[in-house]
Amino acid sequence: MKKQSLIQHIITGLNDLKWVYINEFKQIFRDKGVMIIFFLGGMLYPLIYNSLYMTENIYKIPIAVVDNSASKESREFLKKLDATPEVLLKESCSNLEEASDLLKRQKVHGIIYFPKDFHSKIAKHEQAHISVYSDMSSFLYYKGFLTATNRVMLEQSNLIHLDRYNNIGTYGYNAQQLSRAINATEVALFNPGGGYASFLIPGILILIIHQTLFFGIGMLAGTAREENKKHTLIPDHLIGKGIYRVVLGRAATYFTLYSLISAYVIGLIPIIFNLPRIGNIWEIYKLMLPFLLSTIFFSMSLSIFIKNRETGFIAFLFSSVVLLFLSGLPWPRSGMPDFWRYFSYIFPATHGVQGYVKMNSTGATLSQIRFEYIALWIQTAIYFIIATFTLNYMVKESKVASENINSED
Amino acid sequence: MIVKGFKNVFKRELRQMFSRPIYLFATILIMGFCYTFFLSLMQQGLPQKLPVAVVDLDNSTISKRTIRELNATPSTEIVLVTGSYLEARELMQSGDIFGFIVIPKNFYKDILTNKIPEVPLYYNNSYLIAGSLVYKDLLTLSVLGSAAYERAVIQKRGVDKENILPTIQPIVIDKHQMGNPWVNYSVFLVNGIIPGIFQLTIIMMTIFVIGFEIKNRTSKSWLKKSNYSLAVGLAGKLAPYTILFIIIGLSGNVLIFKTMNFPMNGSFILFSFGTILLVLAAQAVGIFIIGLLPVLRVAISIGAIFSILSVTYTGFTFPIEAMPPMAQGASLLFPVRHYYLFYVKEALLGAGPSVSIIHLCAIMSFLILPFVVYYRLKEAAIKMNYSIK
Repeated sequence: MKKQSLIQHIITGLNDLKWVYINEFKQIFRDKGVMIIFFLGGMLYPLIYNSLYMTENIYKIPIAVVDNSASKESREFLKKLDATPEVLLKESCSNLEEASDLLKRQKVHGIIYFPKDFHSKIAKHEQAHISVYSDMSSFLYYKGFLTATNRVMLEQSNLIHLDRYNNIGTYGYNAQQLSRAINATEVALFNPGGGYASFLIPGILILIIHQTLFFGIGMLAGTAREENKKHTLIPDHLIGKGIYRVVLGRAATYFTLYSLISAYVIGLIPIIFNLPRIGNIWEIYKLMLPFLLSTIFFSMSLSIFIKNRETGFIAFLFSSVVLLFLSGLPWPRSGMPDFWRYFSYIFPATHGVQGYVKMNSTGATLSQIRFEYIALWIQTAIYFIIATFTLNYMVKESKVASENINSED
Repeated sequence: MIVKGFKNVFKRELRQMFSRPIYLFATILIMGFCYTFFLSLMQQGLPQKLPVAVVDLDNSTISKRTIRELNATPSTEIVLVTGSYLEARELMQSGDIFGFIVIPKNFYKDILTNKIPEVPLYYNNSYLIAGSLVYKDLLTLSVLGSAAYERAVIQKRGVDKENILPTIQPIVIDKHQMGNPWVNYSVFLVNGIIPGIFQLTIIMMTIFVIGFEIKNRTSKSWLKKSNYSLAVGLAGKLAPYTILFIIIGLSGNVLIFKTMNFPMNGSFILFSFGTILLVLAAQAVGIFIIGLLPVLRVAISIGAIFSILSVTYTGFTFPIEAMPPMAQGASLLFPVRHYYLFYVKEALLGAGPSVSIIHLCAIMSFLILPFVVYYRLKEAAIKMNYSIK
């Protein structure tokens, strides 16, 4: 007897799941707004961001030159500086005021200034100074200009160096060894070009999945709460103890859709735009499993705050920017105050971005990102439980509302 | 008449504002959160104590000294000294370190016997900012190491003390970072992100409060209060938010520039005037979008896309001129882009009003937008002839 009722129970459960699963598909395909978020958002955003950041870096930053030295040394320095990919010597000014005016108008983003005594100091074996002024409105101007100037400076210093040792009778290898006792070779192990897209886009791709899921699910919930006041779309026997079946069934729907969308976003986009992809794609899909599930349950849990179709956007659109910074991609986690670091653990996006960037951009294996992987599964469990409670609350609320309307009739 | 209409609508909107939490949440709470979040997140200015590792294959006194010196730099912290390259590489993949240096076998012996040892510096550019900072520190260390050796040798050879430094470093670069001498990342980022979110909040709220009336078919009763004048109706409806956002924006300016002492090399008053104009311009964009598409759900989606894109198009991280030429022109369409340029020239670089004011004019030009859609919006609000879906 008992056994049979258990089987019976399971069969009803599966039938309910199937009903919810199919019904949710209908809801989604019936709703233009949700379709736009899921499909157009998921498809277009990766394309837009990739095309904006396509150049990866800023080249030929225009700078102004004030060369009061007008010597062989300063001209050679400038020639080499102009040959660097980062910098373009655009303006030549007779004094600093003129150049600084150009900088303030952002006609140039840097100034290099050789004082009158530049040549004579080198000739007299004194330290010669060069001044550089950089536009600090963007990190990339500063970084590009300074990297180029430093490189040329080291090269020229080394030449002067060798020259001086030659003068005191140290030649060849010995002189070289003196001027550079240690030879540092720099190896950017990952993202070797230091590209901006290669750095930021992988994180943005994960955020696009997170945010489109979040806003889409929020819109479905908001619409249901707004329009279903007169009838609840859930069969009565599923309310209460059976509500987990609705949560599971809906999650299965979102998961099915997002398996496809994710395959496009992280499987295809990096190939199209030649982004870093040194990870094992199947292992990355294994990470996506708890990432998608936790994001789905997280979004369903938070739907409780979304009472209208549109309020999700009004209340939470700003979170896209905040989540990017919480993920620890633009600003390293080790530099975050503890409070924000722990706060960031609440969101699937944080672990998703971290896990994905580590696997995709630095070739980590699943076992190397155990922390993120386990965190995502824990989130899946916790948000699943919260989602059942919030859904139950929302269903009851709409039932009460419809009963009120009925009694008024 | 006009005054009375304005007052009626204004009062009606105030009631609306306090009727549901969304209105105050999406204005005061979001902006309060964002100021707190971004200002405290990057409090350090430069990320401190970035984790690095040392692969020490030499285990000599000099390799140990190198490790101590690396630990003394403020921006890096050695979390691991190991004898295995593989271990360090794996730590870099799992994101536990941002870079490492390999001190090769026979490092000390090589130096003593006048060979040039190779010291590879590995760093992770997948985290661009952390990676570049770690690289800079590791490189400085190796340069200093070379210099220390050179100093010791030439000192022994009897080079005069005052000649040592010029020999080691014949050319010196004096750096002047205009407007941000501390190379504070907070300064790079805060004044780009916060205005972006501020504009986003204003646009979305403006679309919402107007569109919600149309959607709920209450727009006629709203305009009835202003005697069917859309201008008065809009003014009365949006004024509570204008006031609220101006208060938020100006308090934010006081917080950023007066309390936290971010660089302000121009006029604080003029800059704050720019903030007020940004509020008005963003509201104008909001009116334009809902006027063009008087269906709340469509307008909200368009507003969201516009607002999120404008954060990128502010150009504070990736400069606009580095984008493909086809994509650059679009930057003109975002009020916050002009506001950012105004900030750079007025506050950061101190170029003075003669240079910066052009950007204020650009922000002001957005105020034309509501007139473009005026009749369309009026039709939609009174006749309510658009489907709500």
